[in-house]
Amino acid sequence: MDGVMMEEEDDCPDLVPIETQSGRPAEQIPVTIITGYLGAGKTTLLNYILTEQHNKRIAVILNEFGEGSALEKSLAVSQAGELYEEWLELRNGCLCCSVKDNGLKAIENLMEKKGKFDYILLETTGLADPGAVASMFWVDAELGSDIYLDGIVTVIDAKYGLQQLTEEKADGLVNEAARQIAVADLTIINKTDLVKEEELNQVRDTVRSINGLVKILETQRSRVDLSEVLDLHSFDSKDGANLAEKLQLVKSARPHLDKSVLTVTFEVTGDLSEEALNAFIQDLLWEKMFCNKEGQPMTVIRLKGIVSFAGKAHQVMLQGVHELYELNETPQLWEENPRINRLVFIGRNLDKDILCEQFTSKVVLDTEKNS
Amino acid sequence: MRSGAAAGRLLVTDSTPPADEGMASTEARRECETEGCSKDAKLQCPTCIKLGIQGSYFCSQECFKGSWVSHKLLHKKAKEDKNQNESKNCVERDINTDPWSGYRYTGKLRPHYPLTPMRPVPGDIQRPDYADHPRGMSESEQVLKGTSQIKILSPEDIEGMRVVCKVMQYSMAAFMVFPFACTARNCYPSPLNYYNFPKSCCTSVNEVICHGIPDRRPLQEGDILNVDITVYHNGFHGDLNETFFVGEVDEGAKKLVQTTYECLMQAIDSVKPGIRYRELGNIIQKHAQANGFSVVRSYCGHGIHRLFHTAPNVPHYAKNKAVGVMKPGHVFTIEPMICEGGWQDETWPDGWTAVTRDGKRSAQFEHTLLVTETGCEILTRRLEDNGRAHFLSQM
Repeated sequence: MDGVMMEEEDDCPDLVPIETQSGRPAEQIPVTIITGYLGAGKTTLLNYILTEQHNKRIAVILNEFGEGSALEKSLAVSQAGELYEEWLELRNGCLCCSVKDNGLKAIENLMEKKGKFDYILLETTGLADPGAVASMFWVDAELGSDIYLDGIVTVIDAKYGLQQLTEEKADGLVNEAARQIAVADLTIINKTDLVKEEELNQVRDTVRSINGLVKILETQRSRVDLSEVLDLHSFDSKDGANLAEKLQLVKSARPHLDKSVLTVTFEVTGDLSEEALNAFIQDLLWEKMFCNKEGQPMTVIRLKGIVSFAGKAHQVMLQGVHELYELNETPQLWEENPRINRLVFIGRNLDKDILCEQFTSKVVLDTEKNS
Repeated sequence: MRSGAAAGRLLVTDSTPPADEGMASTEARRECETEGCSKDAKLQCPTCIKLGIQGSYFCSQECFKGSWVSHKLLHKKAKEDKNQNESKNCVERDINTDPWSGYRYTGKLRPHYPLTPMRPVPGDIQRPDYADHPRGMSESEQVLKGTSQIKILSPEDIEGMRVVCKVMQYSMAAFMVFPFACTARNCYPSPLNYYNFPKSCCTSVNEVICHGIPDRRPLQEGDILNVDITVYHNGFHGDLNETFFVGEVDEGAKKLVQTTYECLMQAIDSVKPGIRYRELGNIIQKHAQANGFSVVRSYCGHGIHRLFHTAPNVPHYAKNKAVGVMKPGHVFTIEPMICEGGWQDETWPDGWTAVTRDGKRSAQFEHTLLVTETGCEILTRRLEDNGRAHFLSQM
């Protein structure tokens, strides 16, 4: 052991950036989740990102964190054009009462030992629920993690995508392809060179009706402008103005397919009761209390909105993925603008009229009523 | 270790508040260590970080290389000091207090190896599924991993929980011989082999936040000790922990332990149907912070019944996204871990022992609760002394 020590002493090591002492790290690292069916072009996209971004240190994790039985997981790192392998130790320790997911902790530990990455890309298997993977990384700001969830990118095959989206599942389960679109912040319709214009239009329209908010890019061989894929900041509350603009452009979908995943949106003017809004969201997301006209419970996969609370000068952003949701103040002020609450729901069995009516009666403060 | 002049040429005091909350820390402007250089330093020597030498800041690699010949002497000295200290305690009377070479401890506590051998639990006692799994994995828990559905216990289940929690009360008093106290009452000690945990309960001293492994270290006057016990009886788990004083402790320890207990009891007071699980963290953090303490983020309370750990997840810090609303028939634990210094934790190379990063002390209390129609029942309430924790009689 002593021999090794002597060698280390003589070599002048490379300096590392100073670690800030506070719980909030100086720069957080974005995690992008990339999902899509086998063959859609995810791996091609990943390889493209790795080779194009040669001046950044990027980590790529394939096949997310599966069944919790593996003790180690490999991770590919690209740096200055070189590709090498690292190992994540998935400490079995106490998965139980630990707040952070094992996979998340493993990445943090690795970065502590070997330095931070600039980007982390996580490719999920085609059949995994990307929403569940997203919740692993959508950690409470209070945990002071080095990592934040940047966004979910779904790659869909222009040629086979429509077929995948319309496939009916047994037992009324949600179609995976539809769920991947529902939860996405960016959808890449790939292999556009393999289809005619009408087919491409159909795919685009179907994607749009499932998810009214998602950004859509069309590519061949997964070639994209990387500034459109990285740094999405989809879960950030800092860019309220951007979201507000997008929300105004969303339209409710007309059902294309049966039992399909759809986008529903509405706007209501007036201040909201924060307590009532929380109760409404919980009834919707946790208790699944709202049903459509056929009596089927509404299932929300993704939820976004800008809302106004009485007495709060700032616009508040609402974000939800499956059962997790957050309300955060944005830097944007209402000022003299009318306080219009805009909400977008993506999910199944959604009924716009019922939702809007429940929302208006339970959550919006009636200034003429005595509360 | 370092001369006064060289040590920390910070121009702005960088204070780490004990209970930091959402405030960005003031960026300290640091000067390069190199003699004669006063440029802004944004880089640090990684070997110094590893060796625990504070403040080796430099402005650039070139400047660093220039000082290398003299700088590396600091490394040499630090290693010599370390060897001197460690070799004293290292293997004394067959007790090894440095089983992991290279690991830098955050505080004064050291493991005392080897652990005593594992004793088998008598065969006639009902075992949870993980007891016989080679890696201690619980299949029944894995099946439900990720779901947030909280079980509403039937009256029979509730009775099972009442029994196991009452049995634990007898065991807590005899925690030093816990494994025996356990098996004597037909219980399996739940932690044993849970994900390969080597012992029957967790003993966490001073800077250990939780999951300390009982070893050969003799308790010292002034220590604060948490004992966390969980037993499995007739198909149900019950979970309880308390922090104790070892002999006379200082005022700081008393305040920490008292505040931690109050955090738990205030949270318990709020439990009733309709309350959101995420609210408990707000109550706990508010009280901890008011007393200058911080709340551990990495570990949380949990649902418990036929499974050791299950939904809901109950974080103890404010503004968390916990899913779920309390309903009659829910059973879960609240187990806040409160720290004198910062909340950041790290884990010893044994993969279990969680310690505070700054080496300051941490205390914890835990109860298993049943939500009733009007509030909650503390299933693990102490039968003597009106349910009060043991430390109160030593204040």
